[in-house]
Amino acid sequence: MDEVFKALADPSRRSLLDRLHAKNGQTLNELCEGLAMTRQAVTKHLAILEDANLVSTIRHGREKLHYLNPVPIHQIGERWIRKFERAKLVALGELKRRLEQSDE
Amino acid sequence: MDIAKFKPAIVYTIYIASTPEKVWQALTSAEFSRQYFFGHSVDVDLKIGGAFIVRTPDGALHISGEVIECDPPRRLTVTFNVNWPELVDKLGPTLVTWEIEQAGEAVRLTLLQSQDRELGDDILSGGRSGWPAILSGLKSVLETGRPLVVQMAPPQRMLDALKAMGIKTP
Repeated sequence: MDEVFKALADPSRRSLLDRLHAKNGQTLNELCEGLAMTRQAVTKHLAILEDANLVSTIRHGREKLHYLNPVPIHQIGERWIRKFERAKLVALGELKRRLEQSDE
Repeated sequence: MDIAKFKPAIVYTIYIASTPEKVWQALTSAEFSRQYFFGHSVDVDLKIGGAFIVRTPDGALHISGEVIECDPPRRLTVTFNVNWPELVDKLGPTLVTWEIEQAGEAVRLTLLQSQDRELGDDILSGGRSGWPAILSGLKSVLETGRPLVVQMAPPQRMLDALKAMGIKTP
């Protein structure tokens, strides 16, 4: 679990996870597009995310694709969120999303 | 069916303190699956072309498919079609692959959900919310011997999106 929190502590790595959340299954080239990070830096960050099991990679044809793996985050949630709190948290999250949307 | 046409939409990985043989058994037996898969029973005829069936706790047919790849205890691919009227016609078939690898003293289990077309976030929200709970439950059962039954309904946004496509949901 330490590895997960260390990996998430860096804004560049969180932005890589955001990019995978927006579009799952990207190649290294796709992930580098439009980023103010060198390819080497992206590679290094991806390795840390993969070691923390927050990113899964697969070979698809000749490409290596990167996928967001939310399983460790789910396990963190299970540790501190009680069963009966989950529905209330989903409802609160939905309320926040709707209220913030209506301001756009 | 040409599985090369399918691209993974979801790839989830979990590490479990167990052996590949036990993970394989947990994935392919009803006795285990009832303890981590929302009470559902998995029944699979482990040969290429064999039937893959998932039943709800009350015995209703929920998912049907067939075995596409079978390499115990390393790799299992099945078609995984939820038995809601017109779902497969509208969304195309779903492939689910389990990859089991030894990783030191643990097992690295990877789940891939693949489609032959692009599906939107609303449709994929079902797998995105369900699989982490199933994988965590599987890990708990294998590591502690205690079942972890997670109560979870299909996400409303998925049900709404399916209804908008004319697919009947329970």
